[in-house]
Amino acid sequence: MLLLPCPNCGPRNVAEFRYGGEMHPRPPAPEAVDDEAWTDFIYMRANKAGRHREWWYHHRGCGLWFLAERDTTTNTILRTYLPAQPHGS
Amino acid sequence: MWRHHDLAPSYDVVIIGGGVHGLACAYYLAQDHGITNVAVLDKSYIGAGGSGRNTTILRSNYLTPEGVVFYDESLKLYSQMAEEFDFNVLFSRRGHLTLAHTDGAVRTMRRRAEVNRLQGVESWLIGPNEIKRLCPALDVSEHPRYPILAALYHPPGSIIRHDAVVWGYAAQADRRGVHIHQHTTVTGIRTANGRVTGVETTRGFIKTGAVLNATAGWATTIADMVGVRLPIVTYPLQACVSEPLKPFLDVIVVSGSLHVYVSQSDRGELVMGAAVDPFASYSLRGSLAFAEGIAGHMLELFPALRHVRMLRQWAGLCDMTPDYSPIMGLTPVEGFFLDVGWGTYGFKAGPISGRCLAELIATGHTPPLIFPFRLARFYERDLVGEKGAASVGH
Amino acid sequence: MAPEAPFDFVFAGRVYRAQPGDTIASALARNGVRVISRSFKYHRPRGLLCAAGHCPNCLVQVGDEPNVRACMRPVEPEMIVEPQNAWPSLGFDLMAAVGWLERFLPVGFYYKAFIRPRRLWPWFERFLRRAAGLGRVNLATPPGDYVKQYLHADVVVIGGGRSGLRSAIAAATAGADVVLFDENPTLGGRLNYSGDETAAAERAALLARVAALPNLRCYTQATVLGWFEDHWLPVSQGNRLWKVRAKAVIVATGAYEQPLLFANNDLPGIMLAGAVRRLLHQHRVKPGERAVVVTNHDEGWAVAAELLAAGVTVAALADERHPTPAILSADLPTVPIFWGHTVVRAEGRASLRRVWLAPLTVDGRPGAPLQTIPCDLLVIAAGSTPANGLLYQAGARIAYHDETGQFVVAELPPGVFAVGRVTGWEEDQAAEVGRQAAAFALDQHTAPDLPSHGTRSLPAPCYRPTPGKAFVCLCEDVTAKDIAMAVAEGFDSLELVKRYATVTMGPCQGKMCAVASIHLTAAATGRSPAATGVTTARPPLTPVPLGVLAGQPMEPLRRTPVDEWHRRHGAHMMVAGLWQRPEHYGDPLAEVKAVREAVGLIDVSTLGKLRLTGPGVPAFLDRLYTTRLGDLPVGRVRYGLMGNDEGVILDDGVTARLDEQEWYITTTTGNAEAIYEWMQWWAQAGWGEGVHITDVTDDFAAFNLAGPRARAVLQALTTADVGNTAFPYLHVRQLELAGVPCRVLRIGFTGELSYEIHCPAGFGPYLWETILAAGAEFGMRPFGVEAQRVLRLEKAHLIIGQDTDAMSDPLSAGMAWAVKFDKPDFLGRRSLLRVRAQGLRQRLVGFEVLTPGVTPEEGLQIVQTDGNGRPTIIGWITSSRYSPTLGKAIGLCWLPAELAARPGTPFTIHREAGPVQARVHHGPFYDPTGARLRS
Repeated sequence: MLLLPCPNCGPRNVAEFRYGGEMHPRPPAPEAVDDEAWTDFIYMRANKAGRHREWWYHHRGCGLWFLAERDTTTNTILRTYLPAQPHGS
Repeated sequence: MWRHHDLAPSYDVVIIGGGVHGLACAYYLAQDHGITNVAVLDKSYIGAGGSGRNTTILRSNYLTPEGVVFYDESLKLYSQMAEEFDFNVLFSRRGHLTLAHTDGAVRTMRRRAEVNRLQGVESWLIGPNEIKRLCPALDVSEHPRYPILAALYHPPGSIIRHDAVVWGYAAQADRRGVHIHQHTTVTGIRTANGRVTGVETTRGFIKTGAVLNATAGWATTIADMVGVRLPIVTYPLQACVSEPLKPFLDVIVVSGSLHVYVSQSDRGELVMGAAVDPFASYSLRGSLAFAEGIAGHMLELFPALRHVRMLRQWAGLCDMTPDYSPIMGLTPVEGFFLDVGWGTYGFKAGPISGRCLAELIATGHTPPLIFPFRLARFYERDLVGEKGAASVGH
Repeated sequence: MAPEAPFDFVFAGRVYRAQPGDTIASALARNGVRVISRSFKYHRPRGLLCAAGHCPNCLVQVGDEPNVRACMRPVEPEMIVEPQNAWPSLGFDLMAAVGWLERFLPVGFYYKAFIRPRRLWPWFERFLRRAAGLGRVNLATPPGDYVKQYLHADVVVIGGGRSGLRSAIAAATAGADVVLFDENPTLGGRLNYSGDETAAAERAALLARVAALPNLRCYTQATVLGWFEDHWLPVSQGNRLWKVRAKAVIVATGAYEQPLLFANNDLPGIMLAGAVRRLLHQHRVKPGERAVVVTNHDEGWAVAAELLAAGVTVAALADERHPTPAILSADLPTVPIFWGHTVVRAEGRASLRRVWLAPLTVDGRPGAPLQTIPCDLLVIAAGSTPANGLLYQAGARIAYHDETGQFVVAELPPGVFAVGRVTGWEEDQAAEVGRQAAAFALDQHTAPDLPSHGTRSLPAPCYRPTPGKAFVCLCEDVTAKDIAMAVAEGFDSLELVKRYATVTMGPCQGKMCAVASIHLTAAATGRSPAATGVTTARPPLTPVPLGVLAGQPMEPLRRTPVDEWHRRHGAHMMVAGLWQRPEHYGDPLAEVKAVREAVGLIDVSTLGKLRLTGPGVPAFLDRLYTTRLGDLPVGRVRYGLMGNDEGVILDDGVTARLDEQEWYITTTTGNAEAIYEWMQWWAQAGWGEGVHITDVTDDFAAFNLAGPRARAVLQALTTADVGNTAFPYLHVRQLELAGVPCRVLRIGFTGELSYEIHCPAGFGPYLWETILAAGAEFGMRPFGVEAQRVLRLEKAHLIIGQDTDAMSDPLSAGMAWAVKFDKPDFLGRRSLLRVRAQGLRQRLVGFEVLTPGVTPEEGLQIVQTDGNGRPTIIGWITSSRYSPTLGKAIGLCWLPAELAARPGTPFTIHREAGPVQARVHHGPFYDPTGARLRS
């Protein structure tokens, strides 16, 4: 199966990881957001058929949360990386 | 069975998705409401999506009263379908067992049994002896990890020839003047002033004021064309089939803890499925992990089947929603309707969904049966939680 | 040990003699047994066709094992082999009568039949179901032994024929670590049965080179089942499943010979050339006495010569081509040659008796039959199709060449290579490809590889369906006419034809019939084969037993350090996620009584336990929990409720601050891993500055010592002062108990004075027994999960996951006290503010049962009856028990908020045996002020 390159550990079988969902930043100030926008944050998703960014957790490994850029139609992993700065989400 | 047509420049209703949901809607538009200037578009052959890939299980033993009533209506339509279409869809009443391996599961099964019976649906809790009588192949002996404590027994549980359902609806819709356009991909939807004006396809543009998104796996892609946001994440769901065997499994067996469901078809093959894949994807390739997992779990339940050979594995796409219930009805865009979010339980709901969406499109009124499943429910915080009754919801 | 002398085995109840090295099929052929099975639908007699494990004709039952390919399974002494799908016997199968009804049973007949009367359909269906299926499952099959192993290689070669071996040798010589898999018992592929000495010599030379290369490992009887992402290959070998990771893959799987389409083309005695050669050269068996050969390439002539050499009469050779100078009929002077002819009909009852040949007319169609030739063997050497399923799965692009009628590799993805006949060509550059694969695997970049391209196309079969039953799909008994009919009925694309006619859906999964189906569908729809497309190649490429895929059962079972003591003392164990816990020790009500009146001890080691350290922990916890934890003083303990941004309850537990920067947090049983992951998410998301988290669940055993005499027991185990002033409620102390270093948390799930004792896991059994010994004089009893459930229910404490579900929020669940809105931001705050503003719809609330003598089961529904007597569900029971302490049945339930608001409000629980009346109760049922906790 898919080899997922963990930024710490290198390419490992995808079975070692847990999927964390598409990248979906949490509003930094939740109270400032109106009900509709908050509902969108909680429930609505881009669910892109194509290239998107998503979270992975190295569950049976180093415990790192990292991002991957993957084409969801082919499962091709374009790159994996750590967020540039703490993302607050 | 169905004719080929050129794409007309306009239709009263355009249905995107030529599976059981879309074709049923077309049929009921014509049959119940006399609306026949309808086009059903599919980017492949009809039934190429979920309708042709599911494990053909029909049941109504759900958890919420709204869910139970809804799925039971569908089951009734399925049971009458052969006569209605004069086409044998091989509807086969088998009886359905949902195994409970923990006391928490027993509690949930009892809850489902009570809710079911209060809606007039046959379901009750049975113990290991009765389970063994119904299904001699099951191992009900002491098992440290997955003891079979009880099961929810649902006699109306059935299987059916899924392709035949698609063909039946297609033929009937075609006969009533509906145009079925296979190998026609939707590339865009035009709107003006917040309402739908037409559909762009690989074969040309269609002018229309009513578009139904009846796709699975592509719900977001289509909804994006009109800017409607959906709470859907698409996951592959894999299934497999064994070589044909002389009949030994009369009932449908499901185990939530073991993430497996199985039935034996009228052709003698075991049809098996499990939980959705562990990560979201649009790839239909399938994985070895699925094959290993399902084999292991099947043998936990039926150790005698170790010589049975897996013949073929495949995958379909499931649009998962936060509450494991579908999304049906109106959207903020006028003329754009939804029949999506069907997760792992879409096929069994095809007939009733089609009928209800037809009513909505024809009359403008949302039938009470599907009102609980409106898109607005997420904004109103009024979810319909069926996670406890989707076959392998957790 | 392989037998070395002839031996006996049983087939269809008769004893036969086999030679060492025989397969079941070759042994049967040796004994002149021609009919091996009955076909799926019409129960037509079937015999050996391919002898390569591709077709369904030789499926037999071997003991417990259904659907065994007789041509691939070595026969063993005393083996009991049964035919399948025939009753009462293979020779006299009553179901063959179905064949007479063939006219009424065309493709898809069942869709148009048995519709009315509706009530008779179940009866018909019962008959259809009984007639279906091939092999039989023995429900008493004993367990088996299976193994799984990983394997890594630079280059994996699939197929050990000539091309595979040559490319493997080249790759290994270039320095790659190479593994080769072949599904046959010996390497060499067709070199094993080519019947001439050059082939044998070539084989020996190749094997010698293989043996000389230490970095080339070969596995025989190993079948590659599929290709998965990043060159992940499952390989079944007997009872073993290899899971192989390669850096590059060379597919050398060869080609499948294809049958021809003509009337009765499924009779026993009709064989593909490869089958004939295997019988002749590998097994030294004459496949028949009098043969006719039909061919469209030179190989057919060689086969005819080999038959003659073996003493088989060759009554005719029909070559579909027209004569060319390259082929000399002098090669076979005794054989009548029919140029430009093909076979159009076969006849025989249980096996072949004669064939009809006809000339091919100018447009390639058969003309009027000319020759009837008696024979008992028809050899078909009329074309092959590449066995390219793996290439499709790996993402190769395969193109159809109109000129040659062959499927050829057009484009290969990186890391995937193909050599030999699988490419659709005869020649190949196996050695060059091997080197390229090695270079790719070893990261030495080469120019993009062009797929191996020969000049001679692999001879392709030509389909000219004749009148009569020309079977396309042997597995499902689908004829050429059926396909035409399907198209005519409107199923006019390949996928629809497949699903309607079920062609390619049987055990062979299209190996024998996919190409024919494509051509027939193309012809019927007026499209080219290229435009018709192909059906999807899916794993497994060869059917694989569930046992092999499953391997040894490996379901982890977690036991606490005290597990053995529980079992020895009569505990009735229950499943709690991955854990095993004592439900009770024989008398749960007595256990409840002991805790209320004396003292009890329960093993709660299954609780999740997390250690958090660092200066950032207070702020971190305040953001993750709805409760306020950041200001917890050292030495104190507080209940914690965790939610998510949706406002849904995730977990609860207890937080203890052991030191300024040392925190100890418990989670519900089985949830530690998930909570740890959740915490890591938020920590790594930016809230984790100065926070370090460790999962210490397995490091500690934990026991809850509960009851009015708990302090006395505790004091007996330590010299520290554990009086109520020194050690108040909701405090934590680090104490030595009986010499064991412990952290003791004073909390109160059961509602009695209680101490939750956590000690290093290794001390668990000792401490457990020591506490019990110390408690004996105070009337101590161990208690289990069931008693705990009653005790906590008497205090109206909820259990997350039982009283709440994946959508419950803390406000509706009656936990508003645990939600501190005055904290600036925590997970769930925004959503819960909205819940509060909207008002609650449903509430979790306590109840007491009014109807005497009934304890309603958990899961029962609460109903309101309308004017017509019809019940509507308004809520349901999540927890319910008879309380021995209070002498009545109590519980928790969800009700509409208006009803739940007032204590004493009556409601009705629906129960099959009769409705149960109950009324709302607020707060704990027992000791509402919590005096006993604080005592």
